[in-house]
Amino acid sequence: MKRTSTARVTAVAAAALLGIAGLAGCSSGSSTTGSSDQGQSAGSVSASNSSSENSSGGTIKIGFFSPQSGSEASDGKSALDAAQLAVKDINAAGGLDGKKIQLVQYDDGSDPKQAVSIATKLTTQDNVAAVVSGSYSDQTLAAASIFQRAGVPMLAAYAVNPGIPGTGDEIFQIATSGPVEGKAGAQALIKDLGAKKIAIISIDNDFGTALVQGFTEQAAKLGATIVSTNKNQFGEKDFGPVIDKAVAAGADGFYMVEYAAEGQQFLTAFRQRNLTQKIVGTEGIDSTQQFIEPNGKLADGMVFTTVLNRDSTDPTTQAFIKDFTSAYGHAPDMVGATTYDSFKVLQAASKNGTTADNLKAGITDLANFQGVTGTVEKFVNRISVHPVELQVFKDGAVHHYGTVDDPDIINP
Amino acid sequence: MSYFLVIATTVVIYAVLSVGLNIAVGYAGQPHLAQGAFLGIGAYMVAVFSTRYGLSFWLCVLIAIVVTALSGFVLGVISLRLRDDFLAIVTIGLNFVVVAIFQYVPWFGGATGVYAIPLPSIGGHEFGNPEFLLLGLVMLAISVAVSGYISRTWLGLGLASIRDDELASASSGTPVASFKIAAFVVASAIAGMAGALYAPFLSAVTPTSFGFTESIVMLAMVMFGGVGTIRGAILGAIVLGALPEAFRFVSDYRLLIFGAILVLVLRFQPHGIIGTDSAAANAWKRLFSRPPKTEYDASCNDAASAMSVAVHGEPEQPGDGKD
Amino acid sequence: MFPALVDGVTVGALYALLALGPSLVYGLLRVLDVANAAALVLGAYLGVTLFRHGLPWWLGALGGMAGAAILGLLLQRFLYRPLLDRGPLVVLVASIGIFIALEEAFRLIWGPYPYQFPVNVPLPHGTIAGTPVTGVQVLMLVIGVVILLGSWWVLGHTRLGFTWRATAQDRETARAMGINVNRVIAGIFATGYALAALAGVLFAIRYNTVTPDMGDVPAYKMLAIIVLGGLGNPMGTILAAFVIGLAESVVNTYWGFILPRDTIAFLVLIAILLIRPAGLLPKGVTRA
Repeated sequence: MKRTSTARVTAVAAAALLGIAGLAGCSSGSSTTGSSDQGQSAGSVSASNSSSENSSGGTIKIGFFSPQSGSEASDGKSALDAAQLAVKDINAAGGLDGKKIQLVQYDDGSDPKQAVSIATKLTTQDNVAAVVSGSYSDQTLAAASIFQRAGVPMLAAYAVNPGIPGTGDEIFQIATSGPVEGKAGAQALIKDLGAKKIAIISIDNDFGTALVQGFTEQAAKLGATIVSTNKNQFGEKDFGPVIDKAVAAGADGFYMVEYAAEGQQFLTAFRQRNLTQKIVGTEGIDSTQQFIEPNGKLADGMVFTTVLNRDSTDPTTQAFIKDFTSAYGHAPDMVGATTYDSFKVLQAASKNGTTADNLKAGITDLANFQGVTGTVEKFVNRISVHPVELQVFKDGAVHHYGTVDDPDIINP
Repeated sequence: MSYFLVIATTVVIYAVLSVGLNIAVGYAGQPHLAQGAFLGIGAYMVAVFSTRYGLSFWLCVLIAIVVTALSGFVLGVISLRLRDDFLAIVTIGLNFVVVAIFQYVPWFGGATGVYAIPLPSIGGHEFGNPEFLLLGLVMLAISVAVSGYISRTWLGLGLASIRDDELASASSGTPVASFKIAAFVVASAIAGMAGALYAPFLSAVTPTSFGFTESIVMLAMVMFGGVGTIRGAILGAIVLGALPEAFRFVSDYRLLIFGAILVLVLRFQPHGIIGTDSAAANAWKRLFSRPPKTEYDASCNDAASAMSVAVHGEPEQPGDGKD
Repeated sequence: MFPALVDGVTVGALYALLALGPSLVYGLLRVLDVANAAALVLGAYLGVTLFRHGLPWWLGALGGMAGAAILGLLLQRFLYRPLLDRGPLVVLVASIGIFIALEEAFRLIWGPYPYQFPVNVPLPHGTIAGTPVTGVQVLMLVIGVVILLGSWWVLGHTRLGFTWRATAQDRETARAMGINVNRVIAGIFATGYALAALAGVLFAIRYNTVTPDMGDVPAYKMLAIIVLGGLGNPMGTILAAFVIGLAESVVNTYWGFILPRDTIAFLVLIAILLIRPAGLLPKGVTRA
């Protein structure tokens, strides 16, 4: 039997490890995808370890990560597009405290392990001043503790896992708090649309869990009953049986917490049955390319909770919608709006300086900030507090329906 | 520096997983597409016990290893009833079942997962990136030692004979059942150990991180590097594990490259890059090893041939395609 | 009860169409080919692209099937045939590598956003006992039945089928008898991939969506179905497909989405395999 020389193996392995790590290090200089000409990475990465010196002359580096490959690539593209537009707009208006933003962005491949590597890279090699996460909860969660420990402020654009802002005082959530959005949905379905017996159909992840929790709480307060609850996985395509069950249980309203693909299947089955129950959806389906464009007609009459008011008279919002559409060929959506606002919040917070402490204080002290997602009243427990926008589908397009701004509801 | 440490730690965790998987797949010849599930079990043990019950990390590692070993035992028992492709499919299914358990049994935190996993500390000193890598290397050393030890014992010989011809092996008196189960138990325990490190390293665990995709990546590493060899498992982990970071300059094409590399290597070097009978390994042998003195020597170099001699009565010629 | 049956049968028909190809491939070559599911996606993309250029959907389907058949021919010639004697694990992992690479290629070529495939199939549709059945579902059932009957007949009653089965039993002897084994292998792959592409087009029309990752779930579910049916037995595979489709629908109807649909498929699989380790209808192709 041949003796495996463990020492030889380990030596080879160690050498190869160092070799690959070196290769990885050499490639840290170019981190952009071919499509972006905005996010120039740090061409000359200095070995500086000091985290306070994070801008060189008139520029300031802001990190960004999003899924550009893998199952979440659709939303990732939306987020990256919005991020690049935001950087362009902010730089045109003078940048952050006079410094132009240099966007350092990476693709996390829908993989939390890559998010960890990216977070380490952003904080120790690229030395960014702050980070925006354009990614889902799994990746954002994994990255958050690294930013927290490194003392780099991070804003999560649309991830809603409660663990994210809970990580520490460097981490902020721009997205509407999950339970808050759920409560707003209850207001819409029960008070505005008059449903009394509700069937809940929800995606089974942290987003669904958080919203359903808020919805159920508020529904009880409003005196409605939940007659059936069903949670499904990503990729579910046959909602017929659960819809039939709900109807048999006497439901006169549906609360649908789904993403675009599943929402489309739900509505298809719903329409096939010529049902007349009211439906309230969520920002999960607020995606132009994945849902609104292709399925607007299917969703006619459906109200949903979100952040972007397409009929807004606010000039910033209108400008955003117009610029995004002309730059990218389609209207922006929830992912785009929250990502854009993450940068705008940074811009507002940088009034007094751009060190980590300045930015943190700036965000915490923000009051009645006017973003494309409406008015952000303040940050409570590092989650943004703002009225919830209600939009409705009419003839294939989305329009303003109402606003939920009751302080009891929107304060987490 | 931290960046390299983090990449290296990720690679080392994969290496531990691959070395463990190699015991079941490479040594025992069992199709095992569920290593990701055991990584998950180990990770969740540490995650839940250290956050909700406040147990020390080191105690949690022990719990992780014990629980995954037990789970591996279950898989081993299943493997007695099923062979080859059937077993392969069942292990695929195991991924889904385990992920579903993580997602639906409230004790595991549900769809939200478990976050805020505390950093391990040793002697009051909290873990930083260097400590994670160090612990990973220790775990790798342990796995390599265990694997190397197995390969030199009767268990290793037995597993090799099971791999090559289970019927012949059984008829020569090898305790096939116990050995198969042992292989799965060890492979799983090693995965559990890796999972224990994974949890605080990522600081959060969610159910979807431990599914079929993860298991496939580990199997790919083992086969890519050289199934049946420790060196192959480690090389596979290094190359495929560091690929996402090393190829950031072609960010959009990384997964495509991953698939392409995997296919090309398997097509032209089905034994893996540095596996047994690969071009690299043969070249190394020609350069560094003494040629065997007699034909008996040559056949003794291969445990499988030894068993075959016992069963079939003649030494195996190199290149005999086994069905 | 009836809604579950209707739903289960239509879903089962789709699974059957998808799994038939790889079942044939397995039965004849003992190769588990995950990349077959990529043929499903390729078929859908080619189909929808041709459709968007103005062609009728069934021409798009044929185009998809042709493209997939070519893919199958290329793969078997340059990847699988050389690896046939290397053991099942090598081929399986290689096929997974191809699958990953292909899905990425689709994403890079067609982009990550979903495509719509809005086809109004002018077949009688309406409701059966209160459950809406669309033209597409009827189409799927009809095509499914036709294909399945067709394969039963071809495999059992034609010279071609006989040749294929002979090759499956013993490649060497078949070759010695003058059968062009390589051509048979090529034919199997081309057919299997074309069937998967057809399933892909129907799937895309039924659910009105084409995405780069639409092959993920079918890929491993297809493996479960083949194994459940008793590897290498096309009829067993079809039966298994319907069993799984019905099981999923029944569970979903009576207990809601209590378990992820995929888990149901695998739990059924594991349970049945533990009782009958050779599958539902094990047949013929004995292990060496």
